Amino acid sequence: MSTLSGGPSSSGEARWKILGRRGGRGIEVVLLTAAALIVISPVLWMISTSLRTPAESFNEPPQWIPIHPIFSNYSAVFSNVPFGDFIINSMIVTGLIVIGQLITSSLAGYAFARLRFRGNNIVFWIILATMMVPIQATIIPVFILIKYMHLVDSLTALILPAVVSAFGTFLMRQAFMQMPRDYGEAAIVDGASQWKVFTRVYLQMAWPALATLAVLGFAGYWNEFFRPLIFLNSQSNYTIPLGLVNLQGFMGTGSVSVVLAAVTMALVPNLIVFAFAQKYFVRGISFGGIKG
Amino acid sequence: MAINAGSPNAGQKALAASFEAETGAKVVYEAYEAVDWNGFFAKVLTQLAAGVPLDCAYVATEGMQLFSHSGLSMPLDSFVMRDKAELKPYFADIHPLLTECEMYQGSLMMLPTEFNAGDLYYDTTLFEKAGIPRPPDDWTEADFINIVKHWTNVQAVGWDWVVRLWGSWSSWMYANGSNLLTEGKYGGGDWLWSTFYPGQPARSGGWHWGEPTANAPGTVEALQLMIELKQQGISPSPDAGGGGTLQGLFASNHIATTIGGGFWAGGLYEAGMKPNAYDVMYFPKWKVQKHLIGVGGFTVLEKSKNHDLAWEWIKHSTTANAISTVYGPRAPDKGNTSTPARRSVLNAAGYAPTGPKHWDVFYGTLDNYPNTTPIPAPFYYEALATAFLARTTQGFSSGNAQSALNGLQSDLEKLYKA
Amino acid sequence: MPEGRAPGSGSWDIGFGEEARAMVEMATVTRPVSPNGEQRPRTAGTRTAQRRSSLHAGESKMGVLMVIPTVAGIVVFTAGPIVASFALSLFRWNVINNPKFIGLSNYRSLVHDSVVLKAFFTTAIMAVSIVGLQLTLGLVLAIAVERRRGAQLRKLYRAAFFFPLMTSAASISIVMGYIFDDHFGVVNYYLTLLHLPAVPWLGSTVGSVVTVVLVVVWQQLGFTFILFVAALGNVPQELIEASAVDGANSRQRFRKITLPMISPTVLFAAIVGLINSLQIFDQPYIMTQGGPGNATNTVVMTLYEAGFEDLKFGYASAISVFLFVAVLILTAAQFRISRRWVYYSSAEGA
Repeated sequence: MSTLSGGPSSSGEARWKILGRRGGRGIEVVLLTAAALIVISPVLWMISTSLRTPAESFNEPPQWIPIHPIFSNYSAVFSNVPFGDFIINSMIVTGLIVIGQLITSSLAGYAFARLRFRGNNIVFWIILATMMVPIQATIIPVFILIKYMHLVDSLTALILPAVVSAFGTFLMRQAFMQMPRDYGEAAIVDGASQWKVFTRVYLQMAWPALATLAVLGFAGYWNEFFRPLIFLNSQSNYTIPLGLVNLQGFMGTGSVSVVLAAVTMALVPNLIVFAFAQKYFVRGISFGGIKG
Repeated sequence: MAINAGSPNAGQKALAASFEAETGAKVVYEAYEAVDWNGFFAKVLTQLAAGVPLDCAYVATEGMQLFSHSGLSMPLDSFVMRDKAELKPYFADIHPLLTECEMYQGSLMMLPTEFNAGDLYYDTTLFEKAGIPRPPDDWTEADFINIVKHWTNVQAVGWDWVVRLWGSWSSWMYANGSNLLTEGKYGGGDWLWSTFYPGQPARSGGWHWGEPTANAPGTVEALQLMIELKQQGISPSPDAGGGGTLQGLFASNHIATTIGGGFWAGGLYEAGMKPNAYDVMYFPKWKVQKHLIGVGGFTVLEKSKNHDLAWEWIKHSTTANAISTVYGPRAPDKGNTSTPARRSVLNAAGYAPTGPKHWDVFYGTLDNYPNTTPIPAPFYYEALATAFLARTTQGFSSGNAQSALNGLQSDLEKLYKA
Repeated sequence: MPEGRAPGSGSWDIGFGEEARAMVEMATVTRPVSPNGEQRPRTAGTRTAQRRSSLHAGESKMGVLMVIPTVAGIVVFTAGPIVASFALSLFRWNVINNPKFIGLSNYRSLVHDSVVLKAFFTTAIMAVSIVGLQLTLGLVLAIAVERRRGAQLRKLYRAAFFFPLMTSAASISIVMGYIFDDHFGVVNYYLTLLHLPAVPWLGSTVGSVVTVVLVVVWQQLGFTFILFVAALGNVPQELIEASAVDGANSRQRFRKITLPMISPTVLFAAIVGLINSLQIFDQPYIMTQGGPGNATNTVVMTLYEAGFEDLKFGYASAISVFLFVAVLILTAAQFRISRRWVYYSSAEGA
């Protein structure tokens, strides 16, 4: 199985042969650029509108570059809702989930990959099988469970069910399986315990896989809406996506520019992770989809 | 003591602080926000079922009968009679209609603190540009059509609204002498009327919502009118939801007329609209001139362990100072977030910063129009609202009000019989 | 990584793909490095043998301890609940009162519930449209981007098409709701500028479905795009060179070699896309609230409404069982079909 980061590994010549013709037809470039701009345009409109007064939000023609940008919408966000709380809540939930998944997945992944114990294969297959269960199919019993644990309307309700991950276990198992046995064997000969073999030898080599898991986890849980909508009731506990929808308003004042300012701010962490960790994210996707 | 209300604004926080200063009891706001009333109720019910201790809940007309019918709220009758001397000035300051809205089967469930009548907001700038004067109080539906047809393009439309029970084509239903459900009244309540409103004819024990009349000719006509306005380009397709975008559009002069209550004054101000850029009117007369209202207040939850303390809070929330701080002119951050239920709190100085100029229309809807009626919110309000939303939007996309409302009628009949 | 799928985030697709891939692998060519199956170095000597056996015992205990957290979590929060969902669907329960056993009554009501049935139908239509668009656009864009000469330029394009995947479906739905507004939205403004009729994006039954589909495709496009970029890069050069030598022109090369070689990826993307589309919730919930008139009601929306607004837990569980079965069928289908593909290509001896 090949892990890809970025594009084709084939040489320039071969690429053209695979893809049909020598590149660079003008019209293709134009259409491609147009497509790229169309894809980005909603975000541009969002940012631009957030810098205009509410009264100007629906002006026609829409001003893509605001003539007199104002920043009061951004401060209005904080006075309308506890946006700072939203950010902190999201950070806590996503952070603890990712950390939890990294820990449990690397432990279990290593055990399934490298250790002998009864039921190793069977248990792993069962865990693998649960990967196909959509969360909506289990949300009602989980909600009832959370209710009985008196965790409704708490961040724990979001974190606890998510600290283990079948996918993460699978990912880490694959990673550990691909590591050479020699290092471990050598360490054992040198007198290391099994645990040390794990922590000092194999875990050190697992950073790329851990990074991939972390990035995927971030993307998955930072942007989540469904579970927070169900489990969180008090506004002070809301995570960002839920908080944004809440800001849009109930019977009242959900000025468009203010909402868009909030959405823009909410997008910043996503952009940062995207910029720095795109490689891992792509790796994670490619990990699954290519028949090597 | 735990109260469930929306997220507290500065005024509500101040109220909690003053209560604590007076009684020593700490007030904790449990703010449950939801996209609409349905979601809100479901959260409250789930929380209660999960054993979260709540003492008071803030409920509006939409939820009052649900809370009462299910036994979530407890009647306040004994408390009220016990403290009747204290409450006489309060009731004298509250229009009896508001009180009647808070009755259920002869008992009083809430003390009203605020209300919103379905009055008509209009954009004075657009009116001036088109050379249209402020309509007289008794203007008609025909006058309305003549006015709104001036705006049919992308820059501005004559009329816009949001699909929900309060503040949508339901107002036209009322003006056409019709409704979604049969209007009736519960008996009883004399204990209240004779004590607090002596010298006035006794009112009822609350509204009783009966058989559905969703496809009655008057109702169908009202929805059909909305559809026609859209087809003529006078009105866009209505959005579902809370109305935030609607206020934004109105504040940016894209809409000439819409339905708004007292809470719009503060909302428009926040959206950047100048106080003299808009004004408010009574709803026009079709067959009758009839307005709908929604009323809000706190209720004591039956499951609370602190009934007496909760009752103290309710009284505390109904003082003139309290109402003014939370909703009215004296609110620290946002003024005029709703219409105060107490007549004495409304004054010109209070409305000067936000507008509207004719703020007297708010309470005038109660004083001058005895036929003002609350929105139809029986105990199965949640399902009713869902069906109402779905059928209304269906009517708009199909263009056929009759068939959509036939559908609504059968939806409601199932609920009514259940 | 969300267990199963968290709606609105692109990454959950991979989780499913992983599983299928693993099953495929295990079933066919690559024998997984099972810890028990590997050859242990056969060194003689009692000391190492003793060490090995004591290590072995420690290994077993450690192994069990290490997997316990994950196993416990999965049992409590995934495996247990899915069984519980089946059980719950046989009851009527509104959370406040006690549950009441009613057998298959929920299912009986379900098949007569026109709103829920319509939601299933709508979801299916959306799913097919979304996947169709995603595959087509993803492939076309991947080819177009990979044919560009400058590496920096390619990186830029890739980033542009990939970026929406990192956004939150909820936030984007808010923005798109404004952009596609029938009367005041930007899209209709430009349409009317081009003398085209304004489309009732959110106000008509057909338009609203189209809008939801467009919004989902906008966001998920990056997923198929990246898959195809990687798949295109994996087409073996030797085959291409050989066929060029044999005189095949570029179009023939593409049709006869490239396309078949990336078809497993196409299949994978299709099934994963379908499964994800079955779970659409955020976008219609935020943009249209399921309207107008139930036009954009999806399966998960009916589940949410039944469970968390009407507080009918038994009924909602019945809906969730349907959803689970649908995903199960799709999963099994992919497993079957991709197994055949694997055997096919290994039989070819490529």
